[in-house]
Amino acid sequence: MPRRLIDRCRPESIREFRASARQRYHDGLALAGAGNRTAAIYLWGYAGEMTLKAAYFSLFGLAEEDLITVPGHIQPAINRGRAAPLSIAWPNQGAGHNVRAWAELLVGVRALAAATAYGPAFAVQVQGCGQSVWQLWRETLRYHKNRAYLYEVRHVREATEWLLVNSDHL
Amino acid sequence: MPRKRRGFEEPPRRTVGHLAERLVDELKSDRQSGQPMIEEEEFPTKKLRVNVIWDEWERVPLEDRTATILRAYEQAEGGDYRDRIALASGLTIPEAHAAGMLPYQVIAAVRQTDPVTAEQCRRALIEEGASILFGEDQPQLRFSTEEDADAARKRLAERLPNSEPVWVVTKEVGTVEDWAQR
Repeated sequence: MPRRLIDRCRPESIREFRASARQRYHDGLALAGAGNRTAAIYLWGYAGEMTLKAAYFSLFGLAEEDLITVPGHIQPAINRGRAAPLSIAWPNQGAGHNVRAWAELLVGVRALAAATAYGPAFAVQVQGCGQSVWQLWRETLRYHKNRAYLYEVRHVREATEWLLVNSDHL
Repeated sequence: MPRKRRGFEEPPRRTVGHLAERLVDELKSDRQSGQPMIEEEEFPTKKLRVNVIWDEWERVPLEDRTATILRAYEQAEGGDYRDRIALASGLTIPEAHAAGMLPYQVIAAVRQTDPVTAEQCRRALIEEGASILFGEDQPQLRFSTEEDADAARKRLAERLPNSEPVWVVTKEVGTVEDWAQR
């Protein structure tokens, strides 16, 4: 008896996030090509989110296959972002999926040490990608029937692509 | 088939000219009250985190808010200072409030026997920098710290004669749901 899909999933980790981010990106491309614009944006949002989370937890010192949990890692990261000196606007609603805040957390935490700080232009680009995705994507998109405009598809795709292309440098 | 090579082009960041100019004026004037509220936090690396809380951002996309802030800093403080800014974010007061960043509020507790009217207090709150994005009839004057709220309370008492007993500083502790999700 083959194991079911859910049972075949590996524990959540940096490696899993990075690999699935690329898969969801390509899934999104296929959907966009078939005219399913909102579905494409829906998957790209997650691709951006996972890329940023993987980058943060890698910076944080987790190994590629270390287990990532909500109480052990996600929530402490959110709390760190909300607190001074980062003071990131991070509402409770959908906090774990807030791509804008995850991008700001990554840029902010890197800026805390001279050795890890991004250059000014790169920092603006990382923050900008998080902002671009966040303006058009929520995990709650799945509950809605609206069809995205073409320029919205392009906007989210370009931001997600940038994050994926630069994931080794994040 | 043709083979095309393109370098990655950084997308142009739009700035909102009139807001950038107003922000430059704010950065140079160092006013004690009103919007925008500009909050800077310096890291040990000398990098800066800048939050500009301003209702004028309401219809401005997030990236454009960041670009506008960076441009204003460049004009007011120079390129080197701009490059120290690691994170620049623009938020409206309702957005900052929703994120739990402005828990202190100055309210007017007006009684019928007080020598000032609710309308006078409403106008004074707006002059002091209250947001009307929550509703024109319910301006909200909010702050991140108790010290800032208390300073605003004192300014309001000076701005509106005989109003000193009316102004009260409150602190929001959040909803039960907020606490449950923490």
